Amino acid sequence: MSHQLGRVVSIILHRYFGDIVQTVGDDLFKCGSKPIGMIVKTTGLSRGLVIESLRTLLKYDIAAFEPSVNQLIAEYKLVPENVLLLIRYPRYLLQVKSKYGSEAELLIEELLQQATCTATVLLVTIATKYKDDKEKNITIMSLKDMFISLATAGYIQQAPVAELKEGSEIPTLVPVATIVPDLDTRILLQVMNAGNFNDVKDNIYWKVNYDRFHQDFRDELMIKAITRRIDENAGELMRFLLEQMYLNSPAWAPESNPVSALDVRDRCRRAATDKPLLQQYVDQYLKVLEESGGGFVRRCGDASGGQFCVRARAAALQLVRAALDHLVTERLGSKAARIFRLIRTKKYIEEEDIQKNAMLVNKECKQLTYKLLEEHFISCQPMRKAATAGGMAKAIYLYHIKLHEVAHTAREMCYRSLHNVSRRALHERTLHARLVDKQKRVRTIVHGMRLRGEPQENIDDVEETLTPPEQAVLQGVEKRLKQLSTAELELDKNLFIFNWYFTYPET
Amino acid sequence: MAGRGRGRGSTLSLTHEQLQSLGIGRGENTTQIVAPPPLFPKLEAKPLSLACDAATDYTLIVKDQFIEFLHESPAFVKLKSQSDGVERYSDKYKMLALDAKQGKVLDCVWTNMPVELRPQANRTRVTSRKRKLEDPSEIAKRLQTLEKKEIQENGETIETNDNAETVKKQEANDDEDIEDEQEEEFEMDDGTDYANNYFDNGEDYDEEDDNLDDGPVY
Repeated sequence: MSHQLGRVVSIILHRYFGDIVQTVGDDLFKCGSKPIGMIVKTTGLSRGLVIESLRTLLKYDIAAFEPSVNQLIAEYKLVPENVLLLIRYPRYLLQVKSKYGSEAELLIEELLQQATCTATVLLVTIATKYKDDKEKNITIMSLKDMFISLATAGYIQQAPVAELKEGSEIPTLVPVATIVPDLDTRILLQVMNAGNFNDVKDNIYWKVNYDRFHQDFRDELMIKAITRRIDENAGELMRFLLEQMYLNSPAWAPESNPVSALDVRDRCRRAATDKPLLQQYVDQYLKVLEESGGGFVRRCGDASGGQFCVRARAAALQLVRAALDHLVTERLGSKAARIFRLIRTKKYIEEEDIQKNAMLVNKECKQLTYKLLEEHFISCQPMRKAATAGGMAKAIYLYHIKLHEVAHTAREMCYRSLHNVSRRALHERTLHARLVDKQKRVRTIVHGMRLRGEPQENIDDVEETLTPPEQAVLQGVEKRLKQLSTAELELDKNLFIFNWYFTYPET
Repeated sequence: MAGRGRGRGSTLSLTHEQLQSLGIGRGENTTQIVAPPPLFPKLEAKPLSLACDAATDYTLIVKDQFIEFLHESPAFVKLKSQSDGVERYSDKYKMLALDAKQGKVLDCVWTNMPVELRPQANRTRVTSRKRKLEDPSEIAKRLQTLEKKEIQENGETIETNDNAETVKKQEANDDEDIEDEQEEEFEMDDGTDYANNYFDNGEDYDEEDDNLDDGPVY
C-alpha cells in the first residue's frame, strides 16, 4: 500500500474505466474502507455516479464490501492487487489459447469481459456470436466440452455466493467449492433457438480462476529457467517433476512433498519418443538438476531410487536474485553489479574487503558502493567497539544485502515505471486524439465502401483525406504506443516474479 | 572547543589521514550544487530493446480489444452530458447516441451486491410514493373525512372550522413537501433533464421483470 502503488492503480483505473471510476478508486485507496455516503462527500460526485462506479468496481472484483460495525450499511474497499491483474488479462488469454486452442480463448475472453456469468448465458452468447462464422466452425457442443474441461482443470471456478446473515441487510460473499457442471446440450440448443434467457434456471455463476493461471506462469518460469541453465531435456525433466508435484502437494507450498524418482522415470519412458536422450540419461539429469539447478530441486531421501522435493521458494529466491542482478547492472553498470554480487556471496563484508575482492580502483569502488547504498540496494550496519581508549572510536561498517527489502525497492521501481509508462501513453493518446479519431473514421468508411463494392477510385479518394504528413505522425504514434504497451507487459512479468517471492514470508 | 586537543585542523571530527583514507583529498572537494537535479536526467546506458514476437503482438491486440470493450460498455462511467452551453445542430444526434448508451445498466449479479447499489431500490420507492399521491381512492377518502368533519363541526363557529381545515391542510402539505423533497433528491442524481424519462418506452417494464427473482424491495 505504497504511494507508488496508489499512483499506478489510479492510472490503470483511468485507462480502463474512465476518470470518474478513477476518482472513486483513488478515494477508496486513500481511506481504506468507507461507506457510500462518505465517498459522495469526499469525492464531490453525485450519488448516482458513485453508485455506478462502485457497481463497476465490484463487478470486476476490484473492490470488495463488508458490513460495517452496526451491520446496517456496507463499507467498500479497493483491492489494489486485482487492479494490477487487469494488465495481465492478455497473458491469461495467450496462455489458454496456446494450451487449449481458440475455443477456450473465446470462453475465457467472454468470461473476463463479463467478470461473472452463468454457463448457459456464456455458451449461448458465444455460440450466437460465431453462428455465421464458417471459418472457425464453432458449435455449442464443442464449446460445452471445452467449458467442462476448463472447469475440470480449474481455470474457471464458481463465483462466491451471497449469503444473508441474520440481522443484517448486507450480503456476505462466501466462496464455494467448484463442482464440474453437467450441462444439457438440448437445453442449450433450445435457449439458443429461442434467443432469450427468460426461462433459464441456471443460477450458478462462474469466474476466471486467476490463481490457476498464476500456477501455470510459475511453472513456465521454472521450466524456462532450467532450460536456459542446463538444456532442453533438463527443462522437460523439471516439467515432469512439477507434474508429479501437483499430485501430492499443495500448489504453492514452499517445498513440495517428496516425489519418487521411479515415477519420474516412468514418465520419461512414456515421453521417450520425443526425448530419447532424456530417457537414456534420467539419472544423470536428475543429478545435474540437483547439483547445479540453482536449488530448484533437492534430494530428500534415497528410498525407492531417490526422492526429490521441488523447492518453489528457493526458485523464487533465485529468480528474484537474478532480476536484482540484472537491475543493478542496467542501472549502475557491471562494476556495481560485481560489488553487489560480492556483498551477496560474503553476506557481511567490510568496506576495505570490498575493495580488495572486487578488484576495482579504490575510489571508483567506494563511489559505486555509496551509490548502491544510496539507491537502497545494499544496507550498512555500523559496529562500534564498546570501549576504546582514544578519542576516536573506530567503527566497522559491515555492508550486507537485505533481500526482502531490496525486493521491495525493486517492486516499487516497477510500480513507478509502470505508472510512468501508462502516463506517457496517455499523454501520447491525448496529444494525437484528433488524428487517431480521424484515422478510425476513415477506416470505417473505407471498410463500409469495400463491403458495398464501390469502385477503387472512390475508396482512394477517401483514403487520401489522410495526408502523407498525417500518416507519418500516425505511424510514429502507433510505434511509440506499441513500445509502451510492450513495456507494460514486461513490467508485469517482473512484478509477477516479485509477488511470487513475497507470497512466502520472510525468514 | 573545550576538551579538544591541538592540531585538529579545520575539520571537527576527522583527521587528515582519516579523510585521506575515505578518499577525500584536499583539492577535490567539489563546489556545492544548489540547483535541483534535472527532471529528466540523461540515461547513462541505453535501455535494452523490448522483445517483439508474434505472442507480444497478439497480447497487444487483445489488450486493446479488451479496453475498447470496456469503453463501450456501461462499466465506463461518464458524466451524463457535457455541453458548453452552445446549441448545435448535431446535438440531437449526439444525445440520441448518448441516450442509447446510458439507458443500459451494468449487468451484474444483483444478489451479490449491497441493496443500495441495486437499480430497482430507487425506482420502487419512487413509484410507490407517486402512486400514493395519485391514487383516486386515497384522494376520495381524504375528501370524505374532510366532509365528515365539516358536517360535525357545522354547529361550531366559522373560526374554529377554518382552523381545523388549515391544520388538515398543513398536514397534507407537509406530507407532500416531504415527498417533493425526496423526489427532488432523486432528480438531482441524474443531473439534467435529458436523463428523465417523460414517457414510458417499455424498457422499465422489461427490466423490472428481469429482476423479479431478486425478490421485491420495500
